[in-house]
Amino acid sequence: MKWDVIVAGAGTAGLTAAVRAAQSGKKVLVLAKGAGATHLAPLTIDVLGYAPERVESPLASLGGFLADNPDHPYARTGEAAIGEALAWFSDVMAETYPYTGGLERNILLPSAIGAWRPSALVPVTMAEGDLRRDEPMVIVGLRQLKDFHPALLADNLQRAGVPARAVELDIEFDRVDVSTVGLARALDRPEVRSLLAAQLAVRLRSGERVGFPAALGLRHAHTVWSELQDRLGRPVFEIPTVPPSVPGLRVDRILTDALRAAGGRVILGSEIVGAQPDAGGVTVRAKAAARDIEHRADWLVLATGGFAEGSIMLDADWRARETVLDLPLAHVPAAGEARFVPDYFDVQPMARVGVAVDAGLRPVGPDGSRVHERVLVAGASIGGAVPWKEHSGEGISVTTGYHAAGQIAPKASPSVGTRAAA
Amino acid sequence: MTTLQTEVLVVGGGGTGAGIAWDAALRGYDVILVDRADLAEGTSGRFHGLLHSGGRYVVKDPIAARECVEENAIVRSIASAAIEDTGGLFVTTPDDDPAYGDQFLAGCAEAGLPTEEIDVAQALRREPRLNPGITRAFTVADASVDVWQLVWALANGAATRGARILPYHRCVELHREGDAVTGARLHDERTGETVEVQAAFTINAGGAWAHEIAEMAGIEGVSVVPGKGIMIAMNHRLVNTVVNRCTIPADGDIIVPIRTVSVIGTTDIRSEHPDDLPVTQEEVDAMLADGERLVPGFRNQRAMRVWAGVRPLFDDKKAGAGGSTRDVSRGTALLDHGERDGVGGFITITGGKLTTYRLMAEEAVDAMVEQLGHDRPCTTKTTALPGSEDGAYMSPGTRLRARDRHLKTEQLICECELIERSTLEAGMRARGSQNLDDIRRSLRLGMGPCQGGFCIPRATGILHSLDRLTAAEANTSMRSFLEERWKGVYPILYGDQLRQARLDDWIFQGVLDVEHLPGGPDRDVAATTAREAS
Repeated sequence: MKWDVIVAGAGTAGLTAAVRAAQSGKKVLVLAKGAGATHLAPLTIDVLGYAPERVESPLASLGGFLADNPDHPYARTGEAAIGEALAWFSDVMAETYPYTGGLERNILLPSAIGAWRPSALVPVTMAEGDLRRDEPMVIVGLRQLKDFHPALLADNLQRAGVPARAVELDIEFDRVDVSTVGLARALDRPEVRSLLAAQLAVRLRSGERVGFPAALGLRHAHTVWSELQDRLGRPVFEIPTVPPSVPGLRVDRILTDALRAAGGRVILGSEIVGAQPDAGGVTVRAKAAARDIEHRADWLVLATGGFAEGSIMLDADWRARETVLDLPLAHVPAAGEARFVPDYFDVQPMARVGVAVDAGLRPVGPDGSRVHERVLVAGASIGGAVPWKEHSGEGISVTTGYHAAGQIAPKASPSVGTRAAA
Repeated sequence: MTTLQTEVLVVGGGGTGAGIAWDAALRGYDVILVDRADLAEGTSGRFHGLLHSGGRYVVKDPIAARECVEENAIVRSIASAAIEDTGGLFVTTPDDDPAYGDQFLAGCAEAGLPTEEIDVAQALRREPRLNPGITRAFTVADASVDVWQLVWALANGAATRGARILPYHRCVELHREGDAVTGARLHDERTGETVEVQAAFTINAGGAWAHEIAEMAGIEGVSVVPGKGIMIAMNHRLVNTVVNRCTIPADGDIIVPIRTVSVIGTTDIRSEHPDDLPVTQEEVDAMLADGERLVPGFRNQRAMRVWAGVRPLFDDKKAGAGGSTRDVSRGTALLDHGERDGVGGFITITGGKLTTYRLMAEEAVDAMVEQLGHDRPCTTKTTALPGSEDGAYMSPGTRLRARDRHLKTEQLICECELIERSTLEAGMRARGSQNLDDIRRSLRLGMGPCQGGFCIPRATGILHSLDRLTAAEANTSMRSFLEERWKGVYPILYGDQLRQARLDDWIFQGVLDVEHLPGGPDRDVAATTAREAS
């Protein structure tokens, strides 16, 4: 079958590109080896959190940051694309899982151990955790949830001057080990929410807002959250946890549903084993149950991720390579240069390694010339960023995914331009 | 300041020092064992985990071989819970001279080491990943040993007989009165407190650091040549039998399956100082290439962690500059400083290898007993260590079997190493430590393929709630763990293990933002933080 666009990778960048392209009338196929990195990410849209000091306003800081980091993915898309992409993303999420915030000011939310994480755009279910506000917090954990330790979280908030205390609940489950996903599924059921609210209500003090691990419902997150606010009569917020990420699963579902609604298709378990770009498009061979299947498209968006996703590998002979198309990589330390440095908290040189792209997100060689006209690159595949140090990962994914879709024959689809301006 | 009195002060808490503490305690002495860091954090905890059969030494060093043969049998019987009976193979790879096998057999006969040459096909059936090009194979009684289990069993055994075990107590001064050593001044590395020890007898079991201790007593010329060896742990048991190259001992010629991993070792490089052991790219490459000779495809497995240890090679004639240290004797050096230097109440024991720790301890304590004019014979040959009374070896399936029984009743905190919450809490209480690395050594917490990615945030939270640590202490503990881990990880990051490391960065930096915990990076806080007196 012939497609307009094949997107490789079902993470935030890939799904963003796919949904935007599909909404502009393209026939879109997403091929992915497995679930995307959405399942790992907190899915707060962090645009720029540290540079290297904490960034109060991405809008105010991006200019200087990009002057210092001219090879950063944001420097390729341009600053304007970031705002457009965030507006678009908010729009897609608005109905089922609304986000709040923007580039003007980072929202500071507690991490699961009580650090202050700066994010530009956050789910409404997390927003009441704003650390700039004065109301005391009570952090609620669950004995059965080993990935969330409310006492440590609350103590760390206290240390930083935020009044906080911890409460640990013990709700009967059929086992002693429950994951955030298991808890979220349970809380989708009204009777479990009632039980939780009843147990908790008697332990709250006046004026406290209530922080939970980000597991307040999977399919019905917004309902669960607003119902708990009503029942407890006070602000409630979620705190992202280590993987698996419930907020990531929610966003994955919403984007996937939006893609299907716009006529697109997702095939998981279809790792790309060969791709031949040519002047008119790309032929892709992907794994399938019985045998490999060939797909043809006018465009390929490569959004398979970086080292963490296994899409860029450092081989046993220390050669770095992009695994789908063997695209040229930028920022690879030369032979004899350090790949990593001894201090864990320093910037690691290998962390910047990724595909080199131009302003049109086409892969380029060392001389800056395009190596494929019909291939676009988005997300963590692109080099030049240190996402976890900068707290920029989701921002890069949403921005480059959005921007990549915008490169696809905009002439044929006037609606793209309209949306971008919105 | 605290003042402690004892009959025997043992400085150095490696295999030898812990062995001495156990030996002396069994003979009825009151003992204090001190180490500047955790027990077995120096040389003893930084080897490949091999309980030598003696095969490695039969050609080159028959005396060492015979010692190993005897001690291997004894240690198996008294410390079985710390030992996995893997057995060993010596194999002739295409790069080795097949004629060495004949020398090997002759040496084994000489040393009394039971061995049997088996068919290559039989060897390959037993270890299918072995290089199919091997031409000869010999079985021996090698085993793998969990050194932390062993050393803590020795220390705990001594403690039940009244010994005081003081890790993180650095010996900063030895006291001399006239011609005798009478005790030591210790610095508690966790609280900063000074502890004075008055001891009738002091044994220097400082290993590669023995010269520093001896110098504190004003004794010169105790020369210990640090011979650095690196080891790499791979994420699977690539073999289930210890595999040695059947050749004159060289670099990277042993693979030891231990617990959930296999360890390849080692090298031998003259080192300037036992605390300065950098791992270079060339060493890593050479080690991976060596692994490839024994197990084709070795390089493409996941290399999880690299570390360097330092052999205490005693050299009475000062070592010449440069060159290999492998030819220096590996025998034990027992120095009676009364005879040698006219300083009484003080002996030094160094050199040797973990396999012969018990023999070294026996010889050291015998020397002390003789000086003191007592008649108290050694009983360590026949006394089982705590936990080893039933003589059962450890096995890789033990934790899995236990897990099966607790599926519905116990939280699993470390999935890689199958550590349950109650085990972790008990281990934390037993150690009374807030250093996650101590817990790692005791329980193997965070030693699996994810290198603590998932269990360390959990363990930090549990440690905080259990011990009532302040958040600052818990944060420091977690950060120190990450920094220490990174040192053993970054030189070997490639392939899927790099992918894993990036996922861990995602968790610790992206999601938890450990770096920006309140109070900032405060990295000047000592890696081993103080536990507040409660």
